[in-house]
Amino acid sequence: MDYATETEIKTLTKIRRERILPRQGEILVSPHDRVEATQVVARTDVPSDFRILPVARQLGVSGTEIEEYLQVDLGDTVHQGTLIAKRGRIFGRSVRSPIDGIVVARGGGRVLIEAQPSPFELHAYIPGTVLDVTDNKKVIIETSGGLVQGTWGVGGESVGVLKIITSRPHSPLRPNSVDPSCHGAILVGGVTADREVLIRAEDTEVRGIVTGGLAPALIPDVKRLPFPVIVTDGIGHTSMAGPIFDLLRANEGREASVSGFVQARWRRKRPEVIIPKPDKTPQVDEARHDKDLTIGSRVRIVRAPHAGSVGEVVNIPQYARRIETGARVRCAEVDIGQREPVDVPFVNLDVLR
Amino acid sequence: MKEAMTGRDSIRSILVVDCGTVMTRAMLLDRVRDGYRLVAQGETPTTWGESSTSVTGGVRHAIQQISDVTSRRFFDENGDLISPQATWQRGTDAFAATVSASEPLQLALGGLAGDLSIASARRAAAGTYAQIETLLNDSQGMPLTDEACVRAIRNAAPEVICIAGGTEGGADRPVLGLVKAATLACSMMDREARPAMLYAGNSRLRKQVAEIVGDEAELRVVENVRPTLDREYLADAQQEFKSLFVQRKLKQMPGVADLSDWSPVSVAPTAQAFGRLIQYLWHLGSPETGVLGVDVGGSNTVIAAVFDEQLRLTVDSRLGAAFGGDRLLQSKNTEVITRWLPEPLSYDETRSLLINKETHPASIPQVEDELWLEQAIAREAIRETLEVARPGWKPGSAQVYPDLMPFCDTIVISGGTLAKAPRPGQAALVILDALQPIGISTLVLDRYGLASALGSVARIKPLAAVEALDAGGLTNLGTVVAPVGEAKPGDTVLKMKVSYDNGSELEVEVRYGDLEILPLPIGQEAVLELTPRRGFDVGVGARGKGDKRRVSGGLAGLIIDARGRPLRLSHETERRREQIQKWLREVGG
Repeated sequence: MDYATETEIKTLTKIRRERILPRQGEILVSPHDRVEATQVVARTDVPSDFRILPVARQLGVSGTEIEEYLQVDLGDTVHQGTLIAKRGRIFGRSVRSPIDGIVVARGGGRVLIEAQPSPFELHAYIPGTVLDVTDNKKVIIETSGGLVQGTWGVGGESVGVLKIITSRPHSPLRPNSVDPSCHGAILVGGVTADREVLIRAEDTEVRGIVTGGLAPALIPDVKRLPFPVIVTDGIGHTSMAGPIFDLLRANEGREASVSGFVQARWRRKRPEVIIPKPDKTPQVDEARHDKDLTIGSRVRIVRAPHAGSVGEVVNIPQYARRIETGARVRCAEVDIGQREPVDVPFVNLDVLR
Repeated sequence: MKEAMTGRDSIRSILVVDCGTVMTRAMLLDRVRDGYRLVAQGETPTTWGESSTSVTGGVRHAIQQISDVTSRRFFDENGDLISPQATWQRGTDAFAATVSASEPLQLALGGLAGDLSIASARRAAAGTYAQIETLLNDSQGMPLTDEACVRAIRNAAPEVICIAGGTEGGADRPVLGLVKAATLACSMMDREARPAMLYAGNSRLRKQVAEIVGDEAELRVVENVRPTLDREYLADAQQEFKSLFVQRKLKQMPGVADLSDWSPVSVAPTAQAFGRLIQYLWHLGSPETGVLGVDVGGSNTVIAAVFDEQLRLTVDSRLGAAFGGDRLLQSKNTEVITRWLPEPLSYDETRSLLINKETHPASIPQVEDELWLEQAIAREAIRETLEVARPGWKPGSAQVYPDLMPFCDTIVISGGTLAKAPRPGQAALVILDALQPIGISTLVLDRYGLASALGSVARIKPLAAVEALDAGGLTNLGTVVAPVGEAKPGDTVLKMKVSYDNGSELEVEVRYGDLEILPLPIGQEAVLELTPRRGFDVGVGARGKGDKRRVSGGLAGLIIDARGRPLRLSHETERRREQIQKWLREVGG
């Protein structure tokens, strides 16, 4: 019984997602409600711009003297140009508000004006059933469906129809594959290495890109895109793992929710593709958390010389083995379709479940 | 008080776990014949994050690995730890845990220009797992305007705002201005999201600071970190940062409460436990020199330095062996990393490897290009941490050359990238390149990842830590002789006679620029007779002075590093690669 990291690739499983407001607000749904992916389930106001006006200094008076010159009170609504403080009559000095907002603090010769807060709407992200709501801040939604975890991503969340634009998992995405039929779709393909693909995708207003590998030179470009990009296998000219490509291809034409949020460090939040099938129930609870590496495990190799290869563990030798660098480590023998199984350190295996 | 432990004399077995950002290790120390020994260990990826909500999953699995090899059960039917040990096959007498897996404490720091208070506050914060999210001073060190200050705090959303500044009896208005701006920023936040305020400035202003902050934020006050321009006092602030980290980060981690329930002592930050061990090792050596500990973990790099009994701990949460490499690549030029590589590696290849390492942080290199890159990152992680650490050291008589390292008797090397380097010489070379020790030092390798665990064990049963160390808990990597001085490449700078215990002798002439390894296997000792050239110092008292020293062997052997201090890499790319290749060959890499 040994441990490796794991990536979930499930055709049908139970999926729960927590939706959390940045601060307490209003929850618009109740437990057992059915929700759509794009439905607003909660909302709040988030602080917006503000200005601190050094009115005493600007009028040339001390902080204690300023009270008699102030023209506004705490809680007053002001507009751009509203007189905040004034000293003298005809040729006197005055201070006006640079923004629309509310006077929220005054003291020490300063006035703080906060702009009207901006409304923030939290979407369901996945269609399904509301399981729970807590603290005017959190909604838990459950659905059934397919799930693919990625390794790297950018660009928030999106919902669209899956469209496969490469014939094979190792094929590069070509600019001419991105045509007007891609409008509103989530594009799926092997390797993204051509900047023109990104330009066309943006012009065509796609909703997302799911790719096996991404050329590192394109990272600044994808960070500027208005839609998420999910990298399933790795940065570089890395193919999409066969099982991931097959699963996405089998669901072509279905609506999917994608998230490009990634936080490898500390919380390990991973990008993902969810293909909701809320009307279907998984036969078994595949969401069981089990990372044991055993003979028969389907694994992806994450380091050279076989990085990106997918295979099956055929043996787990009891003793450590010497690898190419000379290090002696515990390995599994993995059948990746070569004449002989290859030795791969446990820690270089990613179990595909 | 949890630190109190009863029945310590009856402790036979101690189970220790360390939850790192990447890996969780469990170790079992047991009384075997005449002393405590490391009996078994298990290692597994740390479970914490979105899909694994508690560190206890990884902990239980690592302990299970020990059960598998020892046939000893540690948990009862309810999943509770069996303690004290029921029979030699059931349970453990004591349990201790260290954790470095949690996020660092997020800080905003503000101080005054010209009084060095920001640098002192930064060093105080570096004593624990903390990350400076924003400075409340501009690039010239001047405090930000009120509006910029509030904006900086609101954008960074720190957990702690530390305000330093004002030598004792010195400036007050700018300090109070910073406190006012920070308080205003707090008042604009939701109450539950407000940071704590740590005041570490001019003590005369404490009352006014308390009045300004009022109930807008939780205020903590510590001694001034910079009471005078030439005096730094960090102990109080460091203790408070540590306490804030434990309270706001470590104890909030899912699963840490369970570990705490199993243990007679509180769960400790790994760096603190590591520091404790380094402090202990200092007591075993010469009081005139220092002892250093370097731990390159997945997310953090820790340097623990002990001089004159005082521990200076520096934790750098920006760069570890797995995380932070891409940030380094983006923030500095590529050559900062690639200069340490013996073969060319393009920017794209470097970036791909660094990002993919972050997505699979537990993975290890299988091919040499990737191995050299990981060791290059380890060098830079140590160098960056050293940059923060050095100005805070008080090495006393160990610091003979202000621009070079102080003399260090022992250097402990920890963290998977170095401790599990395929060849021991590679770990030694990384340390020599990054720290550039001078004189005679013993390199000690923490091969089993025991260092912080033993620091933790020392709180429960000091004798167990001592005996486990004596029984090979740490492994000698080798003795380094690094002469200091200036000469032309190829000039003889040191004559050395090595007298082995078996009666054989070896005489060598060391040339300037050379890196050599002489045979001195682990478990053996030899007497070195050192005769440096005039103007060269080998750390036995003065320039040009020679002496005889008894030294221990190690996995790498006896290392003579006459490459010069500071180490100079060639500016020509090809020439530099040849240098690196040669050095790697010399150390058996």
